[in-house]
Parts: sequence; C-alpha cells; structure tokens
Amino acid sequence: MPRILGVDIPNDKRTVISLRYIYGIGPFLSNQLCERTGIDPNKRARDLTEDDLAKLAALLDNEYVVEGQLRRQVQQSISRLRDIGCYRGLRHRKGLPVHGQRTRTNARTRKGPRKTVAGKKGVKEMR
Amino acid sequence: MGRSLKKGPYVVERLLEKVYRADQTGNRDPIKTWARACTIVPEFIGKNFAIHNGRNFIKLYVTEDMVGHKLGEFAPTRTFRGHGGKGGKSPAKK
Repeated sequence: MPRILGVDIPNDKRTVISLRYIYGIGPFLSNQLCERTGIDPNKRARDLTEDDLAKLAALLDNEYVVEGQLRRQVQQSISRLRDIGCYRGLRHRKGLPVHGQRTRTNARTRKGPRKTVAGKKGVKEMR
Repeated sequence: MGRSLKKGPYVVERLLEKVYRADQTGNRDPIKTWARACTIVPEFIGKNFAIHNGRNFIKLYVTEDMVGHKLGEFAPTRTFRGHGGKGGKSPAKK
C-alpha cells in the first residue's frame, strides 16, 4: 500500500477516494489534487507510481495544511477562544455545543453519554 | 456567520467616539456600554469596558485576541446554578 506523508496508508480504492483518508482532505481537495498533479482520479491507489506519490507529497507539503499541522491549528483556535473568555470559549470549556444548539434534549455528541439523575421523572414531580 | 464585506464591521459610532475621547484625555475609567452588538475593533485594544449583561456591567479589558468578536460575547447573560439539590446551590463558579 502506498504511503503519503509518513503515516497515511490509503488502501486500494480509487485515488480520489483514498486520498480522503488523509486528515484534512475531503471530496473537493481530493479532486483538486488529482487535477493539479495530473493523476487519473480513477486509477487505483495501489497503481500509483513513485513519481505520482512524490508529486502528491510535495504538493501537500508546500501548499496545503493537513494532518498534524491542521490538527494543531484547530486546537490553537479553540484554545484562543478559551483564553479570551468569550461565549464560544465558555461553551468549549464546559463541553457544551458551541453554535447555539438546544441542550434540553440531544447535544449528546458534546455532552457524552447520558448521566441519569435519580428521582427525576417529569416536570410535575420537580416541585 | 459572515456579514457582508461591503458593509464592513458593525461598530457603534458613539462608542468609538468615546474611545477616541478617552484616548485624548487619558481617561482610564471603564467605558460603560449597552452596545453588546458592537464589534471590537483594533482601536479598542488596551481599553477597559463595562458591558451590560441585562443586570450588571461586566468589566472587560480588551486584548488583541478579542478583535473581531462582539462586546456581548464577553458578558454572559445567563447564570447557571446547577441542577437539582435543595433550594439551589451557590452560583456556579465562573
């Protein structure tokens, strides 16, 4: 299996698809990469030549932010929000949804598994 | 979410004037304001504000990182005191 940028080993799908296994590359960038390197997007990833791989790696290295670098960038943006104490930062700190979603129900992705509170059945029994 | 570039950032003119005046007079007192929707522009850096949250004025020292945010983002309007317990717990730490 071919390796691009050290760690990523996309399998033997079409090139456009397997490139998306790299963090930070989606449908759009994947297409763009194929176009710019002149690689046939329908070619299986295992058929990529050394030359193709070198071209891809060079392009990604120089002009795109992917993998570790991108992850770091995201973390930095979040920690900036946390540090300045704005509303979005507070939501990040508390592990609640940031974009104004409801939290009465749902929001399980941010809040994690449900923590059931004993003796709390309905609104009526609260009083 | 984006605001049209054509319009530029929303800045409350009167507040900006106040900032300039504070600059000239060297007044370091916090500028009291209700203009929560006002974008923080570079002119605000290093100034003290007191932003209304509906009840009190929250003090804020503006740093460079805050540029581009709105003043209101730094003055929370809700107090979450936690769920359950008897008679409500002490206010959640901020």
